[in-house]
Amino acid sequence: MPVVFSVDPRSGVPLYLQLVEQIKRAVALGTLAHGEQLPTVKALALELLINPNTVARAYRELERDRVIETSPGRGSFVRSSGAQGEAHTAAADVATNVIGAAVREARGLGLDRAAVRTLFEQALERWFKPEGKLQ
Amino acid sequence: MNAIAIRDLVKSYGKQRAVDDLTLEVDEGSVYGLLGPNGSGKSTTFKCLLGLARPDAGELAVCGSPVTPATFEYLSFVPERATLCDWMNGADHLEAARRAYAHYDEARAAELVAIFKLDLKKRVRKLSKGQQTALALVLAFSIRPRVLVLDEPSSGLDPIYQRVVLDLIIDAAAGGGTVVFSSHQIGQVERAADRVGILSNGKLVLQGDLDTLKGNRKVVEAVFPGEAVALGDLARDPRIEHITQNGRIVRAYLYRDPEAIVAAFNGLGARSVTVFDLTLEDMFLDSVEKRGK
Repeated sequence: MPVVFSVDPRSGVPLYLQLVEQIKRAVALGTLAHGEQLPTVKALALELLINPNTVARAYRELERDRVIETSPGRGSFVRSSGAQGEAHTAAADVATNVIGAAVREARGLGLDRAAVRTLFEQALERWFKPEGKLQ
Repeated sequence: MNAIAIRDLVKSYGKQRAVDDLTLEVDEGSVYGLLGPNGSGKSTTFKCLLGLARPDAGELAVCGSPVTPATFEYLSFVPERATLCDWMNGADHLEAARRAYAHYDEARAAELVAIFKLDLKKRVRKLSKGQQTALALVLAFSIRPRVLVLDEPSSGLDPIYQRVVLDLIIDAAAGGGTVVFSSHQIGQVERAADRVGILSNGKLVLQGDLDTLKGNRKVVEAVFPGEAVALGDLARDPRIEHITQNGRIVRAYLYRDPEAIVAAFNGLGARSVTVFDLTLEDMFLDSVEKRGK
């Protein structure tokens, strides 16, 4: 099992959601390859030292989101069929959460819509080349 | 099916209500973590469940049946203070378990003895409190029980062995076992449990699926320009569980949908509004303090 996930049980964010997001992120980044086998529920629960039902819930969620597929007796795998699309969705899900949190925080700090938009544009300038490619 | 069902349990010692109308159910394969301050009724609940104390009222069942001596063939109980025989050594205890239990797993016992570095030749009275706890745990897990009831399973253990206990609970649950355990350590409950209950003065003040509780409970914190904040109807808003004010800072505790409350605070002229997730520790302190008043 090459990918190591890390969850924070102290956090107020549900553990299964933390795991779902991390696995989506790993798939989107390619650290989990298409067709790659995920650890069993028991192995991952023991490795992360968290409740196995929580891990199972995360896997069910990922199946519903078509990020992984489970075949009885064989285990869970990152989906390969229509893989590009699924990885893209996974990436969008992760990015939506991150951007949402950032905008919420900015508003909480008292910035208005225009100020947030300016910051957003600056960030895009910084991280994307004009034609939209990652630098 | 409920592996454990406690319904409307009442138990008093003299005038003191140790357990006050408690209902607690644990599904098969689930791990239930019971939190509560000292004297909140955790141990009394376990004793009533297992027939070691006589309840004043209530229905109790393990795997659908009332507890009888036969229950202990598939249920392991580790009480707060390990009940071992002072004059016997560890090896004697393991031998007694081997003879008494059909599912006793000798290899597992040997493995656990090695993990806890137990000296099986030492008599129990010569063992430290932590080593006694460890021996009780070795016995409890070696009979491969379907149901485990653990009352403060880490008492007297150092942090390394506390992790071993977590490992044992998780391993048991992964194998389909049901576990109920009480703990002072929120961190242990956060890892091992999928369901939690918080006891205060004999009452369950909060109970539920841990991830669902975490997902639903939010705090919206608003900072206002001055201390005179006219909350108006917001103070009685049914969406808000309760609301606190400390100078210019107002906090609203909610079960869901913080967006409407954020908008309401913004409408009242809050300078900044932030939404926080409630941790289990927040929920624990919150529910225990509220009851204490």
